[in-house]
Amino acid sequence: MRADVRYGIDDSPVFVIDQSRCIGCEACVQACMECGTHRGQSLIHLERIDRAATTQTAPMVCMHCEDPTCAQVCPADAIKQTEGGIVQSALKPRCIGCSNCVLACPFGVPKYMAEIDQMMKCDMCTDRTSEGLKPMCASVCPSEALWYGTIDEVRENRTGSLLRDFMFGRQEVRTKVYTVVDDLAAGPIDVMRGQAASWLDDPFELESGGT
Amino acid sequence: MIPHRHDAAALDRRGVAWGLVGVAVTLAITFIGSDGLLWFDAALIGYLFGIIFMVFGVIYRYSVWVRRPSTAMLNRRGWDAFRQRKAHNAAALPSLVATQLLAQGFIRRRSRARWLAHQLVFWGCILAGLITFPLTMGLLHFESVGQQGDRYQVFVSRVGTMSFDADSVLGWTIYHGLDIAAVLVLAGVFIFLRRRLRDPGALAVERSGDFLALAGLFAVAVTGLFLTVSSIWLEGRFYAALNTLHALTVILGLMYIPFGKLFHIFQRPGNLGVAYYKRANAEGPAAVCRRCGDEFASVQQVADLQAILPQLGFDYDAADGAGSYQDTCPKCRRAQLALAQSARVGGFG
Repeated sequence: MRADVRYGIDDSPVFVIDQSRCIGCEACVQACMECGTHRGQSLIHLERIDRAATTQTAPMVCMHCEDPTCAQVCPADAIKQTEGGIVQSALKPRCIGCSNCVLACPFGVPKYMAEIDQMMKCDMCTDRTSEGLKPMCASVCPSEALWYGTIDEVRENRTGSLLRDFMFGRQEVRTKVYTVVDDLAAGPIDVMRGQAASWLDDPFELESGGT
Repeated sequence: MIPHRHDAAALDRRGVAWGLVGVAVTLAITFIGSDGLLWFDAALIGYLFGIIFMVFGVIYRYSVWVRRPSTAMLNRRGWDAFRQRKAHNAAALPSLVATQLLAQGFIRRRSRARWLAHQLVFWGCILAGLITFPLTMGLLHFESVGQQGDRYQVFVSRVGTMSFDADSVLGWTIYHGLDIAAVLVLAGVFIFLRRRLRDPGALAVERSGDFLALAGLFAVAVTGLFLTVSSIWLEGRFYAALNTLHALTVILGLMYIPFGKLFHIFQRPGNLGVAYYKRANAEGPAAVCRRCGDEFASVQQVADLQAILPQLGFDYDAADGAGSYQDTCPKCRRAQLALAQSARVGGFG
């Protein structure tokens, strides 16, 4: 995929995150710093899932919830959503640095920056996506764990089905960003339940004694 | 768009009531302070109208804002934290006000240019407010001392205070106080504008109110300076028209304050409550993540959030009733999501 593709409004590109594809190269972490709306600050998370057991990593960008918990729990009413569904970083004049959003976000996305007493989060590279460009992270991800393109391109180039519904306990959350599943019929991703770890660190089960 | 949890169309009765109380207090201060309107300058009635509208609007919006579930909780907890160690916290207040509200070091750490611009606009507006509001409400007037007309005394309501020579540096500074304020504001506005027009990132997240606030400040400052230009260099030409134009920009500016970006002036002091809340929470017990067992926040804040969330229509309790997802630390939330997603595509890789 070319990084300099420019999409038009009618293309309706979508952001897709597939954590299972992450190879931990950290290109996204570096690229995130180049985002014009928060230059020098990397706001993407690259999580080491279980450091003792595996090298597996997983990225996390803002999923841009349709009804964002972060915005609802913000006492300063500082988190706004654009008409296109992008949940923006806290408005700087308003954010009073309480960290409610950091603690309430079901995806663990907002970051509290103690130095400037502000919350900051991914805004899907508004400077780029508003001009039809791919977000920085999606433009550099070599394994397409972070991906941006049209639905037609999804069909042509990717496997799996797109899903944007999640369950956190009894709370269902629908997001603007899609994830990938094989079994769409199984419904939303149940985050508190689906805990089966399947690492590729030992693909032939040599260390675990397999034959 | 973010769904509103309350009926946004209906006028809030409590907000209206508090707003009217604010208006009554403003009128009472004007009446009493101007010695029964003796020192009230009728030519400034338009400005008074602007102030009254602003007072009503700001109090109305504040009253509605402060009763949002999360705001109300933080407001309550901030005061609780303050009262826990009243003497200690009261002693810490001047330093907090100086660093957080006046010096605004948190902006300087973001960008020196932004901080300088904000400081210029901030102090320019403070200076202008300190002059304009008392003048408009008749709380401040000048009387000549003796018959020479070269010496004046400042009166706050009926009370005579300092006097000064009209030709002295002090006299010049007092008469040109609003010009000085306008220059400060304009300098700040230009720095802000430069950034807003040249930084693609700032342009991308631009909100209509950002330019409107700058345009309003620019209009008020420039039309105000025109009055001085007219009286000093143009022998008073166009003064009446410029005066009307300036009054219009100021009145519209005052009316804009409750609705626009400048409302943050009244929200920002909430940061002091947050500072007390955080300090109190840091001394209390820490919440432990239900997954990894690490401490990640204060028990108090996690409990407060869990009290707010149902009011906002969220239910993050576990389906089996065993605790809440909100007891998970942000790091484990990200890990859990990755595990749950990978399980739906046959594992990592």
